[in-house]
Order: sequence, then C-alpha cells, then structure tokens
Amino acid sequence: MKHSLLSSAAERLYWLGRYIERAENTARLIMVNAGLLMEMPARLPLGWRPLIDITDTAKRFDSLYAEATERNVCRFLTCDSRHSSAITNALAAARENARTVRETMPRVTFEYINDLHDFAHSELTPNPSRVKRRAALNGLSLRVQRLEGFLSQNMLHDAPWQFLRLGNHIERADMTTRIIDVRTADLLPPGHGLAPFQEIQWRSVLISLFARQSYHATISAVVQRPLVLEFLLSNLDLPRSYAYCLEAIRRGIRSLPRNSKSLGACNRALHDLQAANVGELEGATLHRFIDNCQTRLGELHTAMQETWFRGG
Amino acid sequence: MGKVAIDWKQYDATASWDELVTPAGRARSGAGPLLRVLSRLTDAELTERQAAAELAIRSMGITFTVYSGEDASGIDRAWPFDIVPRLIRKREWDRISRGLKQRVRALNAFIDDVYHGQRALRDGVVPARYVRKSKEFRQRCVGIDPPHGVWAHVCGTDLVRDRDGALYVLEDNLRVPSGVSYMLENRAIMKRVFPELFDDYVIHPVDDYPQRLAACLRSLAPQSRSSPRVVVLTPGIHNSAYFEHTYLASVMGADLVEGTDLTVGKDDCVYMKTIAGRVRVDVIYRRIDDLFLDPSVFNPNSMLGVPGLMRAWQAGKVALANAPGCGVADDKVIYTFVPDLVRYFLNEEPILANVPSYRCVEKESRDYVLDNLDKLVVKPANESGGYGMLMGPGACAKERTAFARAVRANPRNYMAQPMLTLSSAPTLVGPPGSDQRMQPRHLDLRPFILSGAETYVTMGGLTRVAMKKGSMVVNSSQGGGSKDTWVVDLDP
Repeated sequence: MKHSLLSSAAERLYWLGRYIERAENTARLIMVNAGLLMEMPARLPLGWRPLIDITDTAKRFDSLYAEATERNVCRFLTCDSRHSSAITNALAAARENARTVRETMPRVTFEYINDLHDFAHSELTPNPSRVKRRAALNGLSLRVQRLEGFLSQNMLHDAPWQFLRLGNHIERADMTTRIIDVRTADLLPPGHGLAPFQEIQWRSVLISLFARQSYHATISAVVQRPLVLEFLLSNLDLPRSYAYCLEAIRRGIRSLPRNSKSLGACNRALHDLQAANVGELEGATLHRFIDNCQTRLGELHTAMQETWFRGG
Repeated sequence: MGKVAIDWKQYDATASWDELVTPAGRARSGAGPLLRVLSRLTDAELTERQAAAELAIRSMGITFTVYSGEDASGIDRAWPFDIVPRLIRKREWDRISRGLKQRVRALNAFIDDVYHGQRALRDGVVPARYVRKSKEFRQRCVGIDPPHGVWAHVCGTDLVRDRDGALYVLEDNLRVPSGVSYMLENRAIMKRVFPELFDDYVIHPVDDYPQRLAACLRSLAPQSRSSPRVVVLTPGIHNSAYFEHTYLASVMGADLVEGTDLTVGKDDCVYMKTIAGRVRVDVIYRRIDDLFLDPSVFNPNSMLGVPGLMRAWQAGKVALANAPGCGVADDKVIYTFVPDLVRYFLNEEPILANVPSYRCVEKESRDYVLDNLDKLVVKPANESGGYGMLMGPGACAKERTAFARAVRANPRNYMAQPMLTLSSAPTLVGPPGSDQRMQPRHLDLRPFILSGAETYVTMGGLTRVAMKKGSMVVNSSQGGGSKDTWVVDLDP
C-alpha cells in the first residue's frame, strides 16, 4: 500500500466520507420520522423535535425558528443555507473536499458527487409536498448508495479509501448512538396502556437504522428493548451497529501507518462496549453509556487528527 | 424544426481564412465528411448535441474560475465548448511540430545562456539591456545548472493563421501555461456527444500527454533517486486553473500539494507531510509564479510558496518545472528576437514564422507605432491572458492617447504588431433553439511542448475561439470558448 498519502488529502477524504454519510443519514431520519408519525396516535407529542435532538443542532435551530413544526424542521435539515449541516450544505462541503482530492479517487467519482450535489440543490426545497419530499430524499439516498457502491467496487482500497471509510464509519457510529439515545429517551414510560405504540417506537428505532428486517431474521422474538439495544449496539453483522462501525474503524486503522494512538482510542471504545451489559441499560444508565460512546468517538477523532492530519 | 440547419452556401467564409470552408462555400480539403454530417442534422438535433456537451461538462465538473469584482474568491464557470471540431492535416502538423521543437530548443538554449555565459548578449543577438531590464530576469538563477540544461519544461505556444492562411507564432508561454487539460477533456466530450463524427476520420489521439508529462518530470529528478516522487504544486482552489491542477495530478498519479504541505529540511531536501510522516519530494511541477515560490527569497507575503524552496532547488535537491527565471524568454519583446535565436543557437532557419513586430524601444519603430496606433495591436511585455493590450483598430481616441503616453513613458515595456485577421471555423452561436446558427468565429491554437530528457509536442493542441462576432479575443477569462482539435491523416 502507498502509505505516503498527503496529510491534508487524508483529512479531506475523511471529511468527505463524513459529509456524505451525514447527508444520507439525515435523509433517512426524515423519511423514517414521517413514516412513524403516520402511525402514531395524535395525542402523543412526538412530532419533529427529536430530529433536532438527534442531530444535536438545537441551539442553531432555536435561533432560527420559533417552533419545531414539520415544515421548519425539514427545511432546517434539508436545505436551510444558514445551517451548516443541512443536506445541501453538507453536500456542498463534500463537493469542495472532493474537488481538492480528485487525484486520489477514480476520476469519474467527481461526476457522481457533483450529480449528488446538483440533485440535492435542485430537488430539496423549503416547503415541498410530502410526496415530493419523499421522492427527493429517496433519490438522494439512492445516489449516495450508487456512489458508495461504485467506490467500493472500483477504487483502490488503499489509504485514500481507508480515510473515506473512516469518515463514513465514525459519522455512522455517532449517528447510531444518537438515534438510540434520543429515541429511547422519548419512549413512553411503562404502564400507560399504550403498549402497541411502544412497540411501534422500538420498531422505528430499528427502521431508522435500516435494521428491522435484519432484526427479525436474527432474533426470533417480538421487538423489545433489551434485544433491540443489544442488536443495535453489539451485533457484529449489522452494518449500522455501533460494534460493527468500531470494528470497521479498527480494521481501517490497522492498515494505516503510525496507527498506535488511533488504535488505542478505538480499542478503548470497543472495550467500554464489551464491558457494558447493554441489554440492561435503561433510562439514566443508558444515557450515561451513550454519552461515554460519544466521548470515545471524540477521542478517536482527536487521535486521528494528531497523527495523520496535523502530523508531518 | 426538421429542416436542414446548415446551408454552407449561406455561411460567409470570405471575411477571414476559414479552417473548414472555402470562400466559395465548399468544404476545404478533408473537411467534406465533417460538413456533410453536420448538414444532415436538424436545428433541433444540433441544439440537442450542444446541450448534451454542456451537460457532460457540468457533470464532469470541467470548470475554470473567473475572478470578478464582487466575489474575491472567484466564480466557477462551466468550460465553454463548441461542438464543431477544428481540423488540421497530419502533414501540416508534422511541419508545425518540428517547428515548435526547434523553437523551444532555441528558447531553452537562450535561457541557459542568459544565466551562464550570456554569449548571445555579448554577440549582440539580443541587446543586453533587454534582458537586464526584464521583470522576469532572476539574478538568483545565474550559474544554476538545471537537468539537461532545460529551463522551460512545459511550453504553450500560441499559433494563429492570418487571412491569407499563413501560420504565425503569436507568443510562447513559458511560465505556467495552462489549457492542456481542456484539450484532453474536449476530446472526451466530443467522443461522448458526437461519436458518429469519428467514423469518417483517422484522428490522432491526444491522451498520451499526461504520461509524457509524467515521464518528462521524472527525467528531471536528482540522479540518485530511483523512484522519484513528483508533485503538482497549486496555489489552491481559487486559482483559475485549479481544475487543471487536479486533473493533471490525478492522471499522472502525482500528489496535488499546496505550499503548506511542503517543508524544506536542514539537508536542503523538500519534504511533504504525509500520514506516514515526512516523505521526500524530488520533482515539483509548480503552477505558481516565480515570485510566490519562496517567501524567504521573493515575495515575503506569499502564502502560497515554501520557505527555503529556492535553496533546495539551487542545491540540486529538487527539480522545479518550469525552472525559476525561465520567464525571461516569455516576454513579448524578447519574442521578437526568437527567429534570430534559432539561427544563432541552432544554426538553422526557423521553420515557424513570427508575426512581424515593432519594438517600441527602438526610435524608428516607436515613431512608426505612435503614428499608426489605429492599425496596430500594442502589447505590454509581461502580461498574459490578453490583458493590458491595445487593439488599435477597435479602440477609441482616448484609449489610443493613453497608450501613446504609456509607450513613450516606458518603451521597453511595449511591442506592436499589425492587426491580424485570425482564421475562423464554423461555430454554433446564438441562444439554444431555432435562433442558433453556424457562423464563422475567430480562433487560435495552443499546442504544448514538453522538454526534459526528450522533447514531445501534443497532437494538435487547445483551440480557443472568440464567441463574439468579429472578436479576436479568445481567452476564456474574457468570454472565449474552445473546440476539439483533430489532427487527421488524409495523405496516404
């Protein structure tokens, strides 16, 4: 493997991976939430606020909007130019990064990223009909998958590829833990007589992570908290589980030079996961556990930055 | 809709030498099959092809950056492209190609001489004051021996044809000439949108350029280095040619670096910061001007360069392409001496002609220029991109007066040439739809010449076309477009 990838290029590839993943995750969140709300009884105040919590953007959102309505939240997350993590802005940043690392990827990659960017900018509008919004988000998701499929099948799986994937996986691990955190916190307390809806909500957590069918294929029991948590945090075959992401990150790190610091940080995250009895986490203990995951991911990012991006 | 769009008899090819159509409205030798295919297309089809080309350009992200007053960072524009190719017969191209090699050999010999014995200056071939007063002369380069004695490794020479069909060299761009990526992409676009045009011709491929460039650059590496590391040094994403920098780096398999990615060590070697630590760099294809290369030597405010880079180059630890100081021969006044340089250094007659030129510093010429400003093009010695010129015939009296004053104040800085009528080719103009028409538009040609251990000339080059009726300004920064350029075998 050609180990002497430019530090600045490594950093841009990493962020490119993160931005693309972020855009797709956001699209998926909105689609899943819309589907979830259609099946919820009207008196449950679930609404759209959780998406702001999941994306950890409350401060910015509240400075721009008075109310977390469907319209406001969707606009904020998809195409609000004032919000740096809106899909359109994430993809604009991805495109800028891609432009500066063109030489490290198959040339045609830029066409896919460019197309993705142009599609988002033309199709994501402030106040679309629900049908149109779904079509746009779904189109976006398909384009991301085309890009990732193309890269996985055609790009040399050397250092530039590894940094792209590290970006994907760190973003994804971050999103998975946030979704679990927010979605379990806004779940109904036990014993209020709305059990069927509680199941719907756990199902929505699975759907949010594209894991519903996989759950049923793996676990022959109804959807319930301990099994869902174990599945989403610890299952090593589920591509969006926290454990899977960490293992993928670990493999990536191991293939790179000067990896001891980053490998250490990744191992600490894995160790904390293994040490926790995730099926039994609930309420405050679950929240604390997720907080710790976020801290570990932050340390991992810092370690990568110190050795590979700022190094020399 | 549905009607035949182009009636070549209606196409007026009398105002200039047209590359494809004779004044009588017939196809020039070799252009027949091309014009026939174009004639068969309806308006709608032509518009569709042009739109397909534009879509391909947008999706491939082929852009160039234009600087504007409002936006300091520049605007990314899609590369302007016309779907009608320009043809050059192989036999003519072979002669041009020989002429270009000859010219660049003489220019390199001259630059090497300027920084060594200055024989040509002492012998009066070029008066010494022209060189000493050149903004591009670098005292620090005196006595340096770049590999193979070559200073200008990549040269972009602009060729034009006057209304009688005679071909001239308009200028030699030796500093950081750009455009070659567009030459390559124009061919790729053409294959996508007009595949049937390729059936009737044997067209020489252009796509070996990147590998030739890579080989040329590797041939400059310090001799002890077995597998040399080549990088492309860019000023960054806001540079007008950034697309080209990324393009060339990717097709050569080189790293695209900015000044901040590089450092010069105590051992005078250049290193780049990588994920594996510092890695030595052997050859830098620099796409930034001399004066920004090394803030410790030249412009101290340059954020683009690398402190110590000149020291590393002088010590022979890294090769710079093009070599610093080579711009001394890229000066519109020095240009006027190139035919003499060919005779002096190579003992050959020049194969390619210069445009007749007047040096304003010589009194007799200056008087002629000042008396005939309404007929001449006056050019400053060191501008590029078509800026700072006076196009006499089209200028108003006020502009001419201002130029006369400038020429008198600093005659060394100006030369003048008769206004040529650049040759033309059919170009699709007008808004998309039924108002689109084939009309002649003026063009030039920029081939690229590589000099390292070997010399190489691109097959054809970048054809640039002035999209405005009657305009001779082909620069993309000023609204010019481009065409694919075909060198075709017609002679058995």
